[in-house]
Amino acid sequence: MRERIDFEDVAIGDQVAPLAKGPLTTPHLMRWSAAMENWHKIHYDKPFAMEHDKLPGLLINGSLKQQFIAQLLKDWAGRAGWVWQIKFQFRAMNIVGETLSIWAIVKGKREAADYGLIDLDVGIRNEKGVESTPGSAVVALPYRGRAPVPYPFVPPAA
Amino acid sequence: MALLTEEARAFIGTESEPFFACDAVEPGAVRRYAQAIMDPDPAYADAAAGARYGGAVAPPIYPTFMFRTPFGAPDTMTERADDPDYDGIVMGVGSGLPELPLHGLALLNGGAEIEFFAYARHGERVLQKSRYADIYERETKSGPMIFVIIETEFTTEAGQLLLRARKTIIRR
Repeated sequence: MRERIDFEDVAIGDQVAPLAKGPLTTPHLMRWSAAMENWHKIHYDKPFAMEHDKLPGLLINGSLKQQFIAQLLKDWAGRAGWVWQIKFQFRAMNIVGETLSIWAIVKGKREAADYGLIDLDVGIRNEKGVESTPGSAVVALPYRGRAPVPYPFVPPAA
Repeated sequence: MALLTEEARAFIGTESEPFFACDAVEPGAVRRYAQAIMDPDPAYADAAAGARYGGAVAPPIYPTFMFRTPFGAPDTMTERADDPDYDGIVMGVGSGLPELPLHGLALLNGGAEIEFFAYARHGERVLQKSRYADIYERETKSGPMIFVIIETEFTTEAGQLLLRARKTIIRR
């Protein structure tokens, strides 16, 4: 987790260093199920997943995958920045055993009064390069030499 | 054959009253959660590391996972132990919204839009208010699916908005 990156330090086309998670095993999914106290069988009960729900295998929780996207962006934005918006779709399944690469690329920059806004595309690819969780995000970053992004975050006037 | 009944569609617009998660933000629960998502950010355990946020905090999306089964509530997994269609999901107080009459349909997480305003600090109590924003059916290449859109705001007891989430749940 970095301390600070300034709006001026970011260029359109910049790639955020990807975050690797995995290989994600059944124990990883059980640990997550226990931590959030929800035991959806499709993450650990293979007959239920495949025979009842007709899935190709045990699924990596979408609820876990979204955490990885939030972590990538939070760590990139640094303490002085703020992750304002994240949107994503669970477009494809990830199956237990896969290693995920969480990625983001800068698509745009906008200037608000007290901070700059960075538009990013985000997603999650498995080791075969298949995208499962395409989405986008908006991150607020401080201007160089200026105060950190206000906390709690105050969105720009519409 | 259409999956979506008028009975289920009638839930569009249904709102929960704002209500508290059964527990405040507990350091032990935060630790287990942070370990499970494999995010070692020291702000999740150490007040000095979380100084910018006013102390040690929970991970960004944590408030949405605080609405757990309160002590003394009916035990879904025991009640439905003999039901071959029971999928293991425990969401009795998940959103405070009534369960949709879609029993036997599989449930998949379709995605979300989340806006963040602040992190929940250790010891804070968190409220949520949810509503069924939309419920509709689409024909997809895998057959008909129902899309359930739930909008939820999470705030602290002091009234600080933490995050606003718009979740898509797929039933098929």
